[in-house]
Amino acid sequence: MACSVAIISKDNSPLYVLAADIEKEIELQYCFHSALDIVEEKSNTANKNPDTRDLFLGLLYATELYKIYGYMTNTKIKFILIVDSLNSAFRENEIRAMFRSIHIEYVNYISNPFIIPNEQIFSKTFDRNIRNICKV
Amino acid sequence: MMNLKPLISYSGDNILFKSIQTRIEQALPTDKIEWKRSYGRGTAKNIKLEANFKTFESCKAQIESYNSQNFDILKDPSLHIYISECNDVETYKGTLKEELDSWLKNLATYGISDWMILIVETIDMKKTKNILPRQSVLDKIRLDFGAKNADRCVSILNPLKFENKATESFRSMIQRIRHLILSAYNKNIIKFEEIIRARREERNNEDWNFITYFLLQEKLAFVLEMLTLYSDALVQYDELDAMLNLFIMNTMYGEKPKWMSTFEKPLNNLRGITMCQKDIKETREKIVDNSITIIELRNYIFQRQCTLLNSMEHQWEIAQRLFPFLFSTLREIVEALRLETFMGTLSCWQFINCLEVLNMCDCVVGTENIIKCSQHTASIWNLAKDKLYELGKLCGLLPGSDSTSEQLHIVVQLSSSIGESPERDELEKKELEIRRSHSPSRKVQKPGCERLREALQSNELFQKLYLELCELAISTYKHVSRLRSARYVGRDLGNFYCSLNEPHKAIVFFTDLLRELKSEKWNALASQTLLELANCYKKLDDSLSYTKVCAAISCCVDLEILVRTFYFDDFLKSLKSIQPILTQSDKESNNFIQLEDNFKLIDVHLVNSSPIIQDSLLSLELRIDSNFPREVLCEKVAISFELFGKGTEAVIPPNEFDILPFSIETDLKQDNTINMVSVICESKGKVRRTSSGKNDNLPVTESNFKHSASAKNILIHPGINVIVLETKALEVGTWIMKQIAIHFQKLKFLSKSINVRNKPFEISTKSSSASLHFSDLVAGLDQSMKLFISGGSYHFPKESSIQLKCSKGLKLKKNDENDYQKTLNIKLTDFKLFEERTVELSALCELPCRRDETLIDQKVLLHCPWSECEIQIPLKFLPILTASCRLHSSGSKKFLQVIVKSLYEKNLILTDAVMKCLVNNVIITDLNPKSQNRVTIMKNISISYLYEIEAEPLQTINELPVISIEFNVMYADVNHSEVIRRYICPFDVTDYNTLFHLTVKIATEPQEICRVGTVCHLNLTIKKLTEQKQFNDLMYEVLFDQNMWALYGRSAGVVSMTDDMMETTITLDIFPLIPGFLPLPNIRLSKYMANKTNKTDNPKLVPFAPTQVYNSTKSLQIHVLNNVEQQ
Repeated sequence: MACSVAIISKDNSPLYVLAADIEKEIELQYCFHSALDIVEEKSNTANKNPDTRDLFLGLLYATELYKIYGYMTNTKIKFILIVDSLNSAFRENEIRAMFRSIHIEYVNYISNPFIIPNEQIFSKTFDRNIRNICKV
Repeated sequence: MMNLKPLISYSGDNILFKSIQTRIEQALPTDKIEWKRSYGRGTAKNIKLEANFKTFESCKAQIESYNSQNFDILKDPSLHIYISECNDVETYKGTLKEELDSWLKNLATYGISDWMILIVETIDMKKTKNILPRQSVLDKIRLDFGAKNADRCVSILNPLKFENKATESFRSMIQRIRHLILSAYNKNIIKFEEIIRARREERNNEDWNFITYFLLQEKLAFVLEMLTLYSDALVQYDELDAMLNLFIMNTMYGEKPKWMSTFEKPLNNLRGITMCQKDIKETREKIVDNSITIIELRNYIFQRQCTLLNSMEHQWEIAQRLFPFLFSTLREIVEALRLETFMGTLSCWQFINCLEVLNMCDCVVGTENIIKCSQHTASIWNLAKDKLYELGKLCGLLPGSDSTSEQLHIVVQLSSSIGESPERDELEKKELEIRRSHSPSRKVQKPGCERLREALQSNELFQKLYLELCELAISTYKHVSRLRSARYVGRDLGNFYCSLNEPHKAIVFFTDLLRELKSEKWNALASQTLLELANCYKKLDDSLSYTKVCAAISCCVDLEILVRTFYFDDFLKSLKSIQPILTQSDKESNNFIQLEDNFKLIDVHLVNSSPIIQDSLLSLELRIDSNFPREVLCEKVAISFELFGKGTEAVIPPNEFDILPFSIETDLKQDNTINMVSVICESKGKVRRTSSGKNDNLPVTESNFKHSASAKNILIHPGINVIVLETKALEVGTWIMKQIAIHFQKLKFLSKSINVRNKPFEISTKSSSASLHFSDLVAGLDQSMKLFISGGSYHFPKESSIQLKCSKGLKLKKNDENDYQKTLNIKLTDFKLFEERTVELSALCELPCRRDETLIDQKVLLHCPWSECEIQIPLKFLPILTASCRLHSSGSKKFLQVIVKSLYEKNLILTDAVMKCLVNNVIITDLNPKSQNRVTIMKNISISYLYEIEAEPLQTINELPVISIEFNVMYADVNHSEVIRRYICPFDVTDYNTLFHLTVKIATEPQEICRVGTVCHLNLTIKKLTEQKQFNDLMYEVLFDQNMWALYGRSAGVVSMTDDMMETTITLDIFPLIPGFLPLPNIRLSKYMANKTNKTDNPKLVPFAPTQVYNSTKSLQIHVLNNVEQQ
């Protein structure tokens, strides 16, 4: 089942956006962007101790159509997943696992010394791998 | 379900019990009791207990079911009390014991062990003295029945008779009742839970029914609620909730149990939650009837959850639970059960529920709680707003649309399905008032259904509610600082205003959103917002703003190229129309656009190398990426710059941009494989974290373009353009680039800052200078020098010159000239800015005739065209030769010795030494051998030349006291032997005549040899050689070595020689002290000048020049033999 994912820089600008449904890309982007509100809220109020902080931020919010989950690395790179709220296949464990896979992909990508951090991601390999994870 | 209380049955003396029942009822809830539940179910809780009382007989039916599967924890008495007033042991033994026994046995048959025996004492036992210890009725009872349950046997003093004394015993009885109730519940709950579990396990059975199970488990919830264990009660509902959801969702996969058919009834009534107890009760009756619809059951569960959460004061959790409730119910209805609903009813249901929850949250007190609540209510407001919009759309209530008859029909349908507003009873109203007591002035919101019904009545009312909800959503989002969400509500509101035809109200929302999106670089979304803004401005007919937005849209790379070109054309079109507006309002400051929206600055750098010299051409290369879809012809492209470090801008030291020193460090394991490789930057101080703050929200202002480089009429193509900007470097200083401006017709594109590598550059002047370069100068030979002229930024006239003036004895010439000059003019023809020239010069310092070896000081004065002052350059020359002349006598003959010494590092050739005299009657004879004509000498070597000088005696003394002679010798450097120069040494010869001739003679006895210790005569003969009469009085002094000679008498004396007296002899007695060849004593002759002016003074002694007195026996020796006698 497909889901949409966004990788957002520490300055809250989008680095990579994958929309499960191209038709709804703009709508999904609005969702991604407003999810940042809750990411900020959670990262501010949640456990302040960075050692024990869970990178997975849980369900950020839900709409009639979507469930929006968040994940934030220690370097404040945010991953946001949007899944169809009708789709019960995505339980929290699966979401966690997907975030972990995305995180690994991102780390692999950023380990490339020719990558400039905080710039948009256009890598085809990265895109393919993320598509695999999200089954788009 | 409300007002449930634990039930207690009583037996025995019922009348007695009735008399104290109210007291017990009142006393029970006065204090809390701590309850620790078994199996580690959470922490201990303090519970307030109340109780109802019934006779044992009236609750017989429940008692009978106690040990069966039909056990009803709600209706079953939790404690059974037997009350008696038996005070004397005999009566007890007679009747009471039997009664108790049968009561307990009866209980035991039902498996009940929660009992209590209460003995009411009417006699003050302490007053009767004959009672033995352990002989009271109570003691007996404890003995008989309370084997393990002594605490279940309690006695009190009758509170009716012993008002004061009874308190103590009464209180302990109450405490005991509380304790026993709880221990009964502890047991019963576990028991009941087992029953529930057993039932749940049967859920796959054919005849299992969720509703029945629901009612069963709900009883446990009621009990827990009754015991004020709200969170435990909530758990029951949550379990039921999840279970129901699972069942329903599983129907999608074909698992449909029989009982599910209950929920497949069509949904005629879609009322929202009301939180009105009457409604809740009615719904529960429907559940019992098995006539409930899914939505009603869902409402019921949620309402019960809300009730419990309200009791826990967890309103924020209600808000938190609303969305999951709404969305999962929707899914159940729409996806799983596929129930048909009338159009819009589900939206109504959601809307009403939203408002109802918001009303509940309105009662929250305390800042922290309000914030907690608001985090959820903000999105509830937003959802309510969205749902209202949907309904408005459905019913044709949106601005600018009229309802069709079909839509009016829908409104009627919806209004009826919404249902009536709930009727609250007095108790609830009172409760609500208490809850709202913190802000009584605030209007109590009408229930959601009523507000919805009103809004559906007319366009105006709909608008009013929609705008209100939007404002509330925005303000709540802002309150919990979810600004992005607030902006999105603003966007919806903006769109609504647009459809209301009030675009001026919408603009502020769109620009806020745009700013937010741009600052976080959500370009695709920003482009959308720009399109919306363009729409607004077009409606408003604000062509300037429209032009700007069009420009921005045409540069949105993530939009379709067709859209972009469309807006680009519109941009050009409307650009033409903004002129009149500009001139009217005279708002020049408004016609600029932030450059970064349309062009991307890639690089800008100085083409010339810094420092740039004043007045020279300064050129900058600018690389920009144009995002316009077509080329634009710009009238002017300019970059302003300002003095570095002067402005308010943060001064970044220029080295900030320098490449940081990085090094690679590898950490190897023991087996030399790489463990870790790290890149290290050693310069700690230089690395500065740039703040990621959004301080770039400041509006663009035009800086001062007085100092700027520019290019005119540049065609900027889409993509990367390289533009060279030029200006004349006018003012001296360190400058930094400040702003880029691109003029395009009536518009100016201004950059916020220069956010690429921007190094300060320098404009400077350079001073002119002239200097002489030389080393180790010597006098007498050609010395090469260099005159170095650096023009700097001085503008030389076409014909200018530099003048060098030499001090006396020094001459200069240019290397390409032949003659040395005292004053040298060097022409600086066509001397350009910053040119540097070197002029080769030769210097010649005259070689003076000197005896000493000191350096010769000379100087050169430079007169430069750029300066009024002369530059004095001191020079020091080392003479290569020194010469001295000495006069020697031999009797009356005179000789001249000239000593020439070389100080020159290299070898010198000396030739043709000549001595001349310019006076007649003086004859100079060259005594030097011819072979010595050419001599090569090295440093510090002296060479002597000898000449005889003879003057005619008669003339000379009187006429020529001084004879001037001149010694000439030719010299040349061995390496440049072709350049031969003359060394001229003038000398003066004085006292060249010998006046006196001295002879010393040691005279012994005739034919005697001079011996030690023998007195001899020393005869001193002074002979006048000339006729001169000046020096008649002479003083002689005998000078000798006192180790050798001893003198009798005086060693000095004065002789007077008269004019005609030509010779005189003085004899002195002298004897030698040692044998050997002894030098004869020397004689010093001086002029003895009597002081004529003052007789008392001593006469003066004036020595003769050495050449005036010739001692012919000087240096003679006499052989002195040893004394004979001594031998």
